Amino acid sequence: MSRRLFLIAMLGVLFVVFTLSMIELESLYNNYGMRYFLNEGFDDTGSRNLVTAILLDYRLFDSLFEAGILLIAVSGVIWISKHDVEEKNAQFMLDKYKTPDLFVTFSRLVYPLMLAFGFYVIINGHVSPGGGFQGGAIVATAILILYYIDGNKETNIGLIVTIEKIIYLLIILLASLSFFTRGEFFTNFFVPSANPDLKAIYLVLLNVFIGFKVALGLWTIFTAFLKEGR
Amino acid sequence: MINIPILLIFLPVVTSILVYLFKWKHMNIVVLGSQLILTILAAIYFGHFYGQFEHTHLVLGGWDHRIGISLANDELSMSFIFLSIFTWWMVLAYTFKYGKTDHTFLFFLVFLQGVFLGLLQSNDLFNLFVFLELTTIIVTILIAYKKRGESFRAAIYYILLNTSGVLLFLIGIILIYFTFGTINIVYLHETLTPGDDTMVLRLSYILLMAGISVKSALFPVFTWLPKAHGAAQSAISALLSGLVVKGGIYLFFRMNFLYDNVGIHYGDFFYWVGALTAVVGVMFALSQKDIKQILAFHTVSQIGIIMMGLSSSDANTFYGGVLHTFNHAFFKSLLFLGAGVIIQVYRTKKVTEIRGVMRSMPVVSVFMIIGMLSITGAPFFNGFISKSIIKYGIEDSTIRYWILFAVNIGTATSFIKMSQIFFGPRTVSYPIKNMAQNFALFGFALGCITLGNFYIPFTESFFGIAYDQEFIHVGAFIDYAVTLGLGFMLYHFVISKDYKPIQNIRNFKLSFESANYVFIIYIVVMVTYFIWL
Repeated sequence: MSRRLFLIAMLGVLFVVFTLSMIELESLYNNYGMRYFLNEGFDDTGSRNLVTAILLDYRLFDSLFEAGILLIAVSGVIWISKHDVEEKNAQFMLDKYKTPDLFVTFSRLVYPLMLAFGFYVIINGHVSPGGGFQGGAIVATAILILYYIDGNKETNIGLIVTIEKIIYLLIILLASLSFFTRGEFFTNFFVPSANPDLKAIYLVLLNVFIGFKVALGLWTIFTAFLKEGR
Repeated sequence: MINIPILLIFLPVVTSILVYLFKWKHMNIVVLGSQLILTILAAIYFGHFYGQFEHTHLVLGGWDHRIGISLANDELSMSFIFLSIFTWWMVLAYTFKYGKTDHTFLFFLVFLQGVFLGLLQSNDLFNLFVFLELTTIIVTILIAYKKRGESFRAAIYYILLNTSGVLLFLIGIILIYFTFGTINIVYLHETLTPGDDTMVLRLSYILLMAGISVKSALFPVFTWLPKAHGAAQSAISALLSGLVVKGGIYLFFRMNFLYDNVGIHYGDFFYWVGALTAVVGVMFALSQKDIKQILAFHTVSQIGIIMMGLSSSDANTFYGGVLHTFNHAFFKSLLFLGAGVIIQVYRTKKVTEIRGVMRSMPVVSVFMIIGMLSITGAPFFNGFISKSIIKYGIEDSTIRYWILFAVNIGTATSFIKMSQIFFGPRTVSYPIKNMAQNFALFGFALGCITLGNFYIPFTESFFGIAYDQEFIHVGAFIDYAVTLGLGFMLYHFVISKDYKPIQNIRNFKLSFESANYVFIIYIVVMVTYFIWL
């Protein structure tokens, strides 16, 4: 009990310090970055969605490694879920007989819509909220629904992982293409003065690649978990 | 020429993905080839920019330097880059046979190199965070690689504790971004003035340091390190103890460089944190019987010694601490790899059960003894030099001097204890068939001896500091003999008896919940020290 009270006291101290700092921050707040992105974002990158502008142009280097985190996580999950122990005959929630028919029917209806929505979010990432990472997650969810429709669906993980790795290499290649056209690494391969519609080609391409990579990566992860569950 | 840092980061990353894609049995030759190109590129880069590292500031995408991500190098980061490349060469050599068949392992190992080189060169706070996160995840997988209960537990413990640290690091970055509108380290270093010394800035400093403390295993939050480094494979333990843990140390001085002009006096605080780390690490190491646990706890104690040096405001002592990170990388990797060979042959990790190493594997024993002489600080070996520099730096304060002396005695004791494995009759046969493993041991041993005798050109070219003191004199030998003598007595009369308190220390385990509890106490202490004192 005294341990708890002591903990609460310490968290209280941290809370007070945080609050005092936040009050102080109001007068210190420097919005240089925000103003820069608001004023220059569209002209620099050709993206109306400033998040995409930052993600795919200003800070593309970070995004490459954010995608790398997913890549590593996927390989790690596959490695760890592979085991030689006898598979247990656990009853899994995806058991065909236990999934309600109503749910399966609706899943069949929702599946194409979700897939289309995912692709829409990926392709329009530079105009409206969304982008490769988010759209990829939606596409992956759509694929997950497939497992509800057909519980015995078999997936070749090895193939998906190979494609995922190749797409990652393509993303790196596409990101560094600007070096050969403009002499700068990790930005749009069209010059900054180019027409925004031209620049959008690059953004859409990159979003599509990232979207596929994320979708395949997440697909692999839950397939690995499914195998674990079965 | 200026774009070489990008190649240094992406060459290992792309190579590792190729390894994963083409599971070809000669893939490890390809990896060595890319490693060779990497070495040449780093050498060319260093030769080109030597003496004018202020021109290495590279903004990716050609944006304004306050907006875009930038990479920058200086002598210090270059020295770390060479150290990493060297360590990876040796670890790749050590795992040469293994890498032929296990491509997943090779994939993670080589990917980690690219990420670590990125961590060293990045000049952007958020980019550092991304690299830190990526390092944490890869290291977790490498720790859990054997897929045993022990390694899973260690990996989960590692990732949870480190993630909580890294998240605090992220909050610190957010505070800096809100206050200055940019996260470019060099730019912040130049624009920060003592007038910026506000509570928000101090809070961001504390949060960054909290994350770094977890990453570099400082006193209250070091508990993940022995678990992780004890449970991983020996090659991985060598890499983690020798190098990856130094990522935290490297960030420690990068961040203090950022806050340089604000005038935060961090020296005393981190001296005492370092001293506690060293003392506690040695205490735990003395009680252990598992050969890898002993080495892992000695990593903790040596990091304490490094912090004792780094917390000094005197340049000589500070670079003594930096030099000790290098020396520790050499001898600790050597000891871990040597222990790996021994464990592989004897199939046990117990110090009390391994006997007759000297007779059955003389070559490995010689390398192990070189490592032990280095870590205990024998003259002519590298540990001696950096420990002497730190010792001279803190000599003015009696208590600080005696703490270092006590830590040295403890180190001597536990390696006297470990040296019992050499004696006794030959029990196993070990034909030298794996030359690559011996080559890796040889490389690190050579590094220990070279840095122990020819450290002056090294420190001059990388740190710009020439240590003109003559460290090797009669006093040094007497000092070492006294340390060994006291160490032997301590071992003979106390440690070898295995009294109840020693057993209690050995069986002491800090649960994850308690570790977080301690972590919060640590942050509150930092808040008290840096904001209210």
